[in-house]
Amino acid sequence: MRFSANSFVAAIAYCFASLAMPALADDPSCGLGTEVMATGEPIKVGGINGNAPPGDFSGGTDAAAAYFSCVNAQGGVNGRPIEYIVENDQWNPELAGQVATKLVKDEGVVALVGNGSVVSMAVNADLYRDEGVMVMASGCAISECYESSNIVSSNQGPLPSGIGALTYAVEELGSEYAACIGFNIPNNGGWACDWMNKFMESKGLKGTSILMDPTAVDLNSVYLQALAEGVDTILLMLPAAPAIGLLKVAEEQGGRDLFKWVSPTPLYDPGVAEVLGDYWNDNLYINIELAPFGSEGADNKNWVAVMDAYGQDGDRRDTFSQSGYVSARFFVEALLKLDPNAIDRAAVTKAIQGISNAESDLLCKPYYVGDADRHMPNHAGRMVAYSGGAFNIVRDCYDIESSYLDPIRQQEAALGINQ
Amino acid sequence: MVYGLFFVSGLAVGSLYALGGIGLVILRNSTGVLNFSYGAIAAASAMFAWQVTEWGLPGIVSWLSAVLVGAALSIFYGRFVAPALAWREPAVKAVATLGYMLILLGLIGLIWDDALRKIALPSDKIGVSLFGVRVTLTRIIAFAVSIGAVVGMVQYLRRSHTGLNMRALADNRDHAALLGIAIVKTETLAWGISGALAGFTGLIFGSLVRLEPTVITFMVIPATAAAICGRLRSLPMTLAGGLFIGVVESMLTLYRPGASLRTMAPFVIAALVILWMQRDQQLTFATDS
Amino acid sequence: MTRQFALPITVFVFSLLALPLLLSALWVKVVTSAVIFSLAAAGISVLFAQLGLINLAQVALIGLGGWVALRLNYGTAIPFTVIVFMAGTTTALIGAILALPALRMRGLYLALVTLMAAGAFQILFNAFQFPNGGSGFWGVAQQSAAEIRLPLLANSDVAYLRYTIVIVALCFCLVAMHRITAPGRAWAMIRQSEANAMAAGVNVTFYKIWAFVLSGFMAGVAGGLLSGALGQLDARSFLAADGILLFALAVVGGVYSWLGALIAGLLFKLLPAVFNNIGLSADLAMVLFGAALLHAIITAPRGIAGQLLVAFSRKSP
Repeated sequence: MRFSANSFVAAIAYCFASLAMPALADDPSCGLGTEVMATGEPIKVGGINGNAPPGDFSGGTDAAAAYFSCVNAQGGVNGRPIEYIVENDQWNPELAGQVATKLVKDEGVVALVGNGSVVSMAVNADLYRDEGVMVMASGCAISECYESSNIVSSNQGPLPSGIGALTYAVEELGSEYAACIGFNIPNNGGWACDWMNKFMESKGLKGTSILMDPTAVDLNSVYLQALAEGVDTILLMLPAAPAIGLLKVAEEQGGRDLFKWVSPTPLYDPGVAEVLGDYWNDNLYINIELAPFGSEGADNKNWVAVMDAYGQDGDRRDTFSQSGYVSARFFVEALLKLDPNAIDRAAVTKAIQGISNAESDLLCKPYYVGDADRHMPNHAGRMVAYSGGAFNIVRDCYDIESSYLDPIRQQEAALGINQ
Repeated sequence: MVYGLFFVSGLAVGSLYALGGIGLVILRNSTGVLNFSYGAIAAASAMFAWQVTEWGLPGIVSWLSAVLVGAALSIFYGRFVAPALAWREPAVKAVATLGYMLILLGLIGLIWDDALRKIALPSDKIGVSLFGVRVTLTRIIAFAVSIGAVVGMVQYLRRSHTGLNMRALADNRDHAALLGIAIVKTETLAWGISGALAGFTGLIFGSLVRLEPTVITFMVIPATAAAICGRLRSLPMTLAGGLFIGVVESMLTLYRPGASLRTMAPFVIAALVILWMQRDQQLTFATDS
Repeated sequence: MTRQFALPITVFVFSLLALPLLLSALWVKVVTSAVIFSLAAAGISVLFAQLGLINLAQVALIGLGGWVALRLNYGTAIPFTVIVFMAGTTTALIGAILALPALRMRGLYLALVTLMAAGAFQILFNAFQFPNGGSGFWGVAQQSAAEIRLPLLANSDVAYLRYTIVIVALCFCLVAMHRITAPGRAWAMIRQSEANAMAAGVNVTFYKIWAFVLSGFMAGVAGGLLSGALGQLDARSFLAADGILLFALAVVGGVYSWLGALIAGLLFKLLPAVFNNIGLSADLAMVLFGAALLHAIITAPRGIAGQLLVAFSRKSP
């Protein structure tokens, strides 16, 4: 039932998108689409990414930068170009505080868009609130992203994506006892795995957390710990690199058939297929937060076109990139509704909070912000199976069930969406 | 059965710590330098070996290139940087290698961006089952090489002429110079051997654990713990220390409250070893060793 | 005598009154961190310059001080300044425990004991994390962090920078007092020869432990100040490798004067921020940083401060 409703929404979204963007797929369309270079007074917009070990989270800001260049080339925000200032916090909490202060206080940006930094959100959530600036993030993996008044992310993060993966494992693979393997970081692995276990309990099943030291060398022991627990399903609540490490250990130990293997989005990465090989064919299921990279949706194709035309060499084209595109697009659409001469932080914050029922075929459901103490507009995803170096959709858009979403559903009811 | 499982797994990790520790001890013995950049050299070698396989060259070439790059990077520091610090206190020599570590880590980051990579060695596919754990040939090789390196080095130091020179240098640098031992040549050799081991360790580490430069770089800290178990001097004790640390760390997994603290094993064991070593000394008069 | 105080007093007055007004919001934050780490570097210098003891665990001790400060901040209603002081004292006690093996050794072995301690702390921080407003002894909840209380007079970044400068200056005075009074003389004798010092009636054990207590106190106060500056702490900020780096920078700055500690703090926190702000890639910055570190260690045994002070005293006859 829900399934068909979703397809209906998707179909409508598709029609809207194709109406809004009649241009050819390889001809990017952004903002006003007037093909006039914007020359007015620039609007300062910030973005913070985390690009250093343990991961490159710059996809979101890369895509936002490409989209903004495209907007500036096609009329800007009613004639005013966007000046996009991107900072890298290098996964360093102290640096994260510093660069955010620089953007928000010294540069006076009207908003932050495309943020893909895990550390920055935890450190700066209060700063954003106190300074009244909105953050339209794209790559989030910690609780602060989804439990702050001034941060709204277009990606799902580990919680919905993980529950989505578990939902599939329970309903289609027959999982009864799942181990959630995550980093021992309270607002990341601890937070997400806690809710995984609550989800399993709500289904009358069992779940356990195996939290590992992020610097741990010995993944073998982590795997053996899962073996000793006697679980039947392993949920890899990890960034791609350690998740791959664990899969390698499992391959070495012949663990493919001992467990059902599911994972949230991080493993859905263009580079994964090359590294995994054939061993995992049809035995690894991944929940994806946005549309597949090769999807035929108009917005997805426009994302590719924007990246082709305005992206830099070396820009990552991953989930965060799609997500950064979505954030940037909705942001610009909100700005276009404002009087170009009255664009300041207060007006922009209000405009972002006013976003409701925004459609994109990259998302399963409409996007919205609203004026609330927490935001999680994206919580419905798809499931793919890894097979022969590619990912095949095994279940299209479906929403998750978790009491975590209770306050979110209330917001949605008040805004009259997703009913 | 379960214990056997974790025991075997622990030996595998322990042999990596031991390999790192042995390379550190060989260098420290003949040059007096504790090389904190050892892990970074290992990381650079592993990344280079990965690059070689990317170029489509056969596996054996990539193995050799890792060892050669490790030796070259190590000799570079030993030949051009270390002599400037020859007369400073040992701790300053050790701390200076941190500068080299940062340089290497930065260069690795400049050359290879963050991406998912793996080194697949042909020996990964072959394996035997031991106590229910499948042990791949790669792990067996890591184990055998660490034992082989210890036996080989002990014999080399004992029997060969250059080995004798190294031991003389380790005992007293000034006296060795007076005796006419070619210090630079002997030291260069030690840097080379240590670097080659670093390259090999990096390759195995990258294959068995993760091919991530920072993870491999900071492996030097637990490896130092293994070296401490050998009092920075004894190769067999370093090997035993590394293996012991690995096994303890792995076994702690079974004890749930200890599971999250198991990575402390190297540090706690090394600290206990140091304290044990000092047990006979006078309470008040500190010494340098 | 007066000239000896001219430079430190000028620097103090300038940085307290004028500096916060000259800096933009970004640099206020950066300089706050740099000043805090100067304090910790001063602790390293006390041990190394006065006794030749190497402490690679100072960054771990900052983390410990920060942990205590956060725990007290969330768990009690004690005023912030008192909390900072308590963080210092608790860390000083732990420092004294670290001193026990140091009674019997120095040089590389002591350095390695402290390195192992730093490694162990890194794991502990990772395993138990920093308090974020949760309940229980560890004070960690699997959720977003709650807000902490700041000193009443220092609620803005600028005011907090001033607050930090005052506390750090007080601690620097504390060290200076030690250097010119009985402990300083005792340390000098111990450094020359422990046997002679003992023969002269110096309580060697007590004064060695006292040096560790002083050094630990400064690390703890630094941790307390850092918790207030950042609002929350993260296990990734207190890696064992950072402890080695801070020691290296203390040597580069110069361990024989307060200026060296200040330079060490600036190198540790300001330089990377400058690199980042001019858009240098993090990797390239690391290469430059490593090269500068090597160069300074090789060419300036008394540190940058040693060279600067020599130049300063030459200019003003």
